[in-house]
Amino acid sequence: MARTKQEGRSSLTSSHESSPGLGSPYPWLRSPQSEEGGLQLIELLGECASHVTARCLHSVNTRLEHISYLASPKGTAIQRIASYFIEAFADRMLKGFTGLHKALNSTKISSVSEEILVQKLFYEHCPFLKFAYLITNQAIMEAMEGEKVVHIIDLYPVEPEQWIRLLQALSVRQEGAPHLKITGIHEQNEVLEKMDLQLKEEADRLSIPFQFNPIVSTIENLDIESLGIKTGEALAVISVLQLHSLLAVDEEVVRRNQQSLQQFLETDLNHLFIASASSSTTSELSLSASPKMESFLSSLRRFSPKLMVITEQEANHNGFTLIERVHNAMKFYAALFDCLDSTKSIAPIEQQKVEKMLFGEEIKNIVACDGAERKERHEKLEKWILWLELAGFSRVPFSYNGRVDASTMLQYYSDGYSFTEENGCLVIYWHEIPLFSVSAWSFR
Amino acid sequence: MAASSSSVPFFANIREEDQSQMKQQHSSTAPTSSAVQAAPPPQKKKRNQPGTPSKIILIISCLAFFITDPDAEVIALSPKTLMATNRFICEVCNKGFQREQNLQLHRRGHNLPWKLKQKTTKEPKRKVYLCPEPTCVHHDPSRALGDLTGIKKHYSRKHGEKKWKCEKCSKRYAVQSDWKAHSKTCGTREYRCDCGTLFSRRDSFITHRAFCDALAQESARQPPNMGSTIGSHLYGNSNMGLGLSQVGPQISSMQDQNNQSNDMLRLGSGRPGQFDHLLPPGIGSSFRPPHPMPSSAMFMQDSSQNYHQEHQSQQGLMSEKSFHGLMPFSDLQNSTTSNPPPAGTNLFNLGFMSNTSSNSSGNANNNNSSLPSSAMLMPNHFNNENGSGGGSEGSNLFSNNMMADQITSGVPSLYTTSVQSNTAMPHMSATALLQKAAQMGSTSSNNNTSSSLLRSFGSSSSKSERQVVPGGLSSMFGENNENHFQDLMNSFTSGNSSIFGSKFGTYDTNRTNLELMDLEPNNKPNQNLSGGGGGSGSDRLTRDFLGVGQIVRSMSGVSQRDQQQHQQRQQQQQQQQQHGLDMSSLDSDRNTAPSSQSFGGGGNFQ
Repeated sequence: MARTKQEGRSSLTSSHESSPGLGSPYPWLRSPQSEEGGLQLIELLGECASHVTARCLHSVNTRLEHISYLASPKGTAIQRIASYFIEAFADRMLKGFTGLHKALNSTKISSVSEEILVQKLFYEHCPFLKFAYLITNQAIMEAMEGEKVVHIIDLYPVEPEQWIRLLQALSVRQEGAPHLKITGIHEQNEVLEKMDLQLKEEADRLSIPFQFNPIVSTIENLDIESLGIKTGEALAVISVLQLHSLLAVDEEVVRRNQQSLQQFLETDLNHLFIASASSSTTSELSLSASPKMESFLSSLRRFSPKLMVITEQEANHNGFTLIERVHNAMKFYAALFDCLDSTKSIAPIEQQKVEKMLFGEEIKNIVACDGAERKERHEKLEKWILWLELAGFSRVPFSYNGRVDASTMLQYYSDGYSFTEENGCLVIYWHEIPLFSVSAWSFR
Repeated sequence: MAASSSSVPFFANIREEDQSQMKQQHSSTAPTSSAVQAAPPPQKKKRNQPGTPSKIILIISCLAFFITDPDAEVIALSPKTLMATNRFICEVCNKGFQREQNLQLHRRGHNLPWKLKQKTTKEPKRKVYLCPEPTCVHHDPSRALGDLTGIKKHYSRKHGEKKWKCEKCSKRYAVQSDWKAHSKTCGTREYRCDCGTLFSRRDSFITHRAFCDALAQESARQPPNMGSTIGSHLYGNSNMGLGLSQVGPQISSMQDQNNQSNDMLRLGSGRPGQFDHLLPPGIGSSFRPPHPMPSSAMFMQDSSQNYHQEHQSQQGLMSEKSFHGLMPFSDLQNSTTSNPPPAGTNLFNLGFMSNTSSNSSGNANNNNSSLPSSAMLMPNHFNNENGSGGGSEGSNLFSNNMMADQITSGVPSLYTTSVQSNTAMPHMSATALLQKAAQMGSTSSNNNTSSSLLRSFGSSSSKSERQVVPGGLSSMFGENNENHFQDLMNSFTSGNSSIFGSKFGTYDTNRTNLELMDLEPNNKPNQNLSGGGGGSGSDRLTRDFLGVGQIVRSMSGVSQRDQQQHQQRQQQQQQQQQHGLDMSSLDSDRNTAPSSQSFGGGGNFQ
């Protein structure tokens, strides 16, 4: 379905863009549907990124004009990716002109319901979140064996289904269901209310003593004391794609110091590509996580959670240089776009929504934002392991059963998905591209 | 769902617990361990995992002392003392003992003063033990545990390392006796999900079920033709249902047939009957009914039992080998997939493209006879013709056939589906493109060329850099699939130009090249039209040529990095080519040294 849809798209566009040599203002641009055009797009994007870094407005403008001729939010995967990247580039450039930037975004409305819908679509059509939830629930079941009071802190509850499933699993537990308390942290009260309602209903149906504790907050501003953790309850902390936002620091000062070096590197584009590979070392200068992350983890540690399950993007989008971030983000989101293309159940309009409102926004954040504003600071598993171990947590291996379930589930989706166990953590792949990691931790 | 039914027992349970606690409270006047164990177990329901029977006793005894006895002596031991196996140490020989009584008996051997505890006539002071873990509920004196073994086991179970691992199910235990008890029963009881997964533990099974059910519902909701993987599972399973348990290759071929015919139905141009001969007789007929897939939900339920194992066997079945043997079209598929990425197949994703390319390689391998449809043989004729004479009539013939016969024959859909069923990444995927770009990037940096490819793409002033340089073509092919390219080369007497022609299902060789050149940016649009494209035929054909042109450019794109020095020559070449040059000299040259040449061999023209 998606395939034919795609073909329809491309053949349609190819009929009027078929001859870039004849009608187009840039005769040297290739047809974006061809592989060649795709490669050209990639290269143009890379070049554009370096001009953006140099803040060379004129060159950026020219490149963006070229790319926008090739890119299309409805074209092939690479065309769509390019559309979101150039939007992000433009946003970044415009940030220099605060007035312009503010004016352009002055009427921007963010619709909560739309956002929720998009997240739901992503949850339904891609296996990643389901994978994380399944593994998480399995880990909770195992860790909470025999516990009578279980408190789960969900740092970003989106999908009630996860907890409904857990309620169901707990209700048939051999030793009987525990008293379950779930604390949900979300910026939107709406989401929490809905979740509260649904979970209470299910708990009532299953006659499980249940309590939902909604906290309207972002993870950055979260007051740990407000979580209502009581001694004696078995605590589980669940974070799905949230923890990285705690890495946001105002690195403007550091950045300025590095700027001169960067400019030196960017004089030669070829060198730059080499530099982007090695610049990860610059970001590794800070061995410790951000102060925010450290204080968060150490305050959690005080409550000695029995289990902490962390799902994160398995990519380094927290590089110091823009080039590095663009490079890694392109790889990562290309795989995600491909995933969506391979998903037959998603309607084109839904797919576009997910791409625009979820992936597109993340790309924009990674590319256009800096300092505290840049929340999408995805880091690889190795970093998480380092930070969590520094904070005094130790890894909990996933059980065989959990892994069996996970692989069964992935097979429902596509052969393209797979996962591996790396250092006791699970990493889910789309073909050879690692996309998300799930790791479980416990205090001590 | 089982979940709802069990909710009632849960509460009943609690009540039982309460009762038992109360009972025990009454009997707490004589809480010796023997009394507790002699007391009939207050509840029949097992409260622990199958395979850890020792827990039952423990829990019962825990319940017995779950009471606040104000007189009880509260003992808080440090983790170290608690876990020390022999915490009663003889001061003479440092021998450790688990019990004080034993130490006392041992001391007697050293002639040390010893004293065995006497059964006091007085009610002994009851001792309760605290869990040393400060966050544990049993750290609170009100919930202290009543016996030392109990607290030890509790501590290692809940806060200790799980050192004992069951080899069968990899469940870990902190207490050796738990592990032993589990090992005795592990694997003797099995829980089988409808999906075929086996579980040795009930709780794992239940957790699994909660998800498995949800997934089953979900996939049942999906419309029939959605998703080749799900579809193929369904078919695979229904085959099982029909009793064809291990007919490996057949199943895979059937699946593919199925996908194909489904696709054809969808496209509205299919003739399912066409494939009848491909299906093994009996199976084919029994199998065709589900084509429209009226009730996927039903299939799901019936077949999900075998799903898991099935899938694994399918994985094996889907291998290319079985594909090969049973599908007459497999040559076609192989040849197309083995083409290097810049092949035309990706461009429009249309079947006829791939067919022609396969034919061309088929030609090279003298495999024509294996190609079943007459429509597909046409291109070969043409190619041969083209090779010998290079007549422009043939080209029209060819392209007409392509458009008319092959599209309607349903072969195109065949191709696309076979690609779908391959697990290989689709060629035009963004991931593949990026990987390719990375490769190119690394090679270009290795070559130490000062400016990247981008430069030439990006700046409109450096047009000459963007010359078509098919010399790079061969190097491209060489990188990816040298042999293949060589085959192609050798099979066509007219050389390079006809490779283009055959590969992309087109045309008179000379004219193709002219077309290609005409589309180059250096030329003015007017010249383009007059040069060759104008005279060559319909719009459709011109569009195809554009496809070709793009491909050629993509190849040149790679080679640009080492072609800058040829810029001058190329410009000259191009001018000359517009006058319609004899290609033969070029061809011979190309055959001998394909990789080192720029387009047209540079000097050959002068």
